[in-house]
Amino acid sequence: MPADADARLPGATAGAASQLDTFRHYRHLTVELAISQFKLRYTGSVLGYFWSLLKPAMIFAIMYFIFVDLFKINDGTQFYGMQVLLGIVVWTFFAECTSSAMQAIASNGGLIRKAYFPRSILVIAASLSALFTFVINLLIVFVIAVALHQIDISLRIIVVLPLLLELYLLALGISLFLAALFVQYHDVSHLWEVLMQLLFYASGVMFSLTYVLQRLHLALEVGSTKPQPPHLLWIVQVMAANPIMQNIEDLRHALLTPQAPWTELVVTGHLAAVHQYAALDVPWEVPLPFLAVLLVVTFGALTFRFRARSFAENL
Amino acid sequence: MADRDLAIRVEHLSKRFRIPLDRSATLKHRLAHWRSASRYRTLEALLDVSFEVRAGEFLGIIGHNGSGKSTLLKILSRIYRPDAGVVAIEGKVSPFLELGVGFNPELTARENIYLSGSILGLNRPELHRLFDEIIGFAGLEQFVDHKLKNFSSGMEVRLAFSLAIQAHAEILLMDEVLAVGDAAFQEKCFDIFNRYKREGRTVVLVTHGLGAVTTYCDRALLLDHGRLVADGDAADVTSQYRRAIGMAADGSRPNAEIERWGARDVVVTGIRMLDERGVEDVNPATGGFVRIELGYRIQNDTIADFTCVLWLMRGDGLMVSEATLPVSQYAQVGESQRGAGGTIRFDIPQLSLLEGTYSVDVELQGRRDQAPYDHLKNAVHFRVIDRRARQGVIEPGGAWSVVPAEQPVSWPDQFAATPGTGQDERPDRTRH
Repeated sequence: MPADADARLPGATAGAASQLDTFRHYRHLTVELAISQFKLRYTGSVLGYFWSLLKPAMIFAIMYFIFVDLFKINDGTQFYGMQVLLGIVVWTFFAECTSSAMQAIASNGGLIRKAYFPRSILVIAASLSALFTFVINLLIVFVIAVALHQIDISLRIIVVLPLLLELYLLALGISLFLAALFVQYHDVSHLWEVLMQLLFYASGVMFSLTYVLQRLHLALEVGSTKPQPPHLLWIVQVMAANPIMQNIEDLRHALLTPQAPWTELVVTGHLAAVHQYAALDVPWEVPLPFLAVLLVVTFGALTFRFRARSFAENL
Repeated sequence: MADRDLAIRVEHLSKRFRIPLDRSATLKHRLAHWRSASRYRTLEALLDVSFEVRAGEFLGIIGHNGSGKSTLLKILSRIYRPDAGVVAIEGKVSPFLELGVGFNPELTARENIYLSGSILGLNRPELHRLFDEIIGFAGLEQFVDHKLKNFSSGMEVRLAFSLAIQAHAEILLMDEVLAVGDAAFQEKCFDIFNRYKREGRTVVLVTHGLGAVTTYCDRALLLDHGRLVADGDAADVTSQYRRAIGMAADGSRPNAEIERWGARDVVVTGIRMLDERGVEDVNPATGGFVRIELGYRIQNDTIADFTCVLWLMRGDGLMVSEATLPVSQYAQVGESQRGAGGTIRFDIPQLSLLEGTYSVDVELQGRRDQAPYDHLKNAVHFRVIDRRARQGVIEPGGAWSVVPAEQPVSWPDQFAATPGTGQDERPDRTRH
């Protein structure tokens, strides 16, 4: 039928251009949802929004005492305390974003059954409200660091923005994946809690990769020929490929001190040095964290898109 | 090109739900029962439904519970995806099916306007501009910054309503709007429907209120078990529906042992009929108070809400009345409530049935798929006693009055031309 030309077919898949249109169209709803979720998160508490600042600060105090004062974890680089604080702020964002966005679909069943809009904006809204808290926390860390002269500002700071984008995309990709699965399998929330515990230690929130290398006696000087136990090397390689580790390290480097190691974004640098120990002359692992982010985002978005069709029926 | 004024075209639409028999919500359960994981009960919610709606038409969709009405509406609004068939829609569809979608009790009226308004497709500048009008129409100027949880249900509905009328959709889809709110609110709804009608907007209304369909709809669809069985003039279709309900049971219901079926995710633990003192009474009087009390227990963790449906059936099988209650709206039936239970009451302040034997059928069903959890046919039998022994079916609550005429009645005698069959046919009544 010729009349079909302009008809909107609910079953049809939208092209890339119209998808962009859709997002423009639903921008307002996304923002409104993010704002109300942000408000709702702190209703009913006396200190309200201040909890989002207090919580990382308190966690920092505990962690700093245990790891740095008690266990003397310190790689000897500049502003170690600030580096740990930055790690905790980043981690808090990652943890809160993924665990709150995971529930975004399941806890809005009424909305999904009664109104039409792209389901992903519920997850995006949840992640945005976490991002908002994170950015404020980051600014506070920055102000504190400046006030205490615990910072070495230079042009490196421009790298912070792409790093934040990378971190946000990673958190969003994981959130989409978790939220889609959580609708049918509430198990993922328990599983994710455990996985996050593992990730916390695998991401160097409390310590740097340098410290791990030191502890594993992988001397950092290029050219050392000490034999290395292969499984320890394997741990280092996995940690080096972990995008959260890479992100925290690079943020420390870009924001706080050039002494903190970083990936120098793509080609050579610190992590490449790791490979020289492993007698791997190709620094193939360096772009690995970025590839991992790309993979996670793609996989998360595809999983979500596939499962979103039946959310209304499964809730 | 000939179909320029077509708003909705639906062709061979089918939708089926696959309901896992062992509703496994946890991975463990799924793993433990992996062999039987593919056991489903298939529910054909819609089967090969085709129809068209012209722009500006007011269409009603009727049918009994589980006939696929709501599913159809959800497919039109893109909430569900069809399994087969074509749905073509010309124009902007309202993205919501009920009033107050997205309202959050913890937010203020102002915040809710912005949140719910953006679900209706309005953006912030628009809402900013319309804000005073919305609040004014709802009459809530003094409560702008009060949390919604402190509002009465009437206030909440007024707010939802004055917000909904601002949505600039060309095609409006509405599910059971008339089930909520009091008579005054329902009247307000119809004012708006009339306004939409005047503005040439298309309205599709799913409802149980047959009166509303005949009054407002140009056309009606009748669905039965997912099939479109009638499509035509609203009055014709509703009377066909009324006939169908009566006739289906006309083949007399032999008197009545309890029949029970359902998946038992939620079970009826007991049902009884009480009088105004709370004493069990299966011989209520016409005009008296009747309470049907129903105990339920949730047997399955994953049930978040369900619907309770009561049918009053006359002894000869005629369905007298159907009443539906979405339970989660009244009691907080949250997640993981296995073993939780409660009591549902259905109060009839003045029983309008005249003398006769009746029974109550009850069903607890899934809110989403309307799959029966527990259906009890002939759950309660009762006999209505009319002390005044009037003839007929119901006591309409009518009032007589006689106005003595000072002058002869001015209108002509309508029945003058009607020939009588005999003067003394009913001698006992004609005498004085």
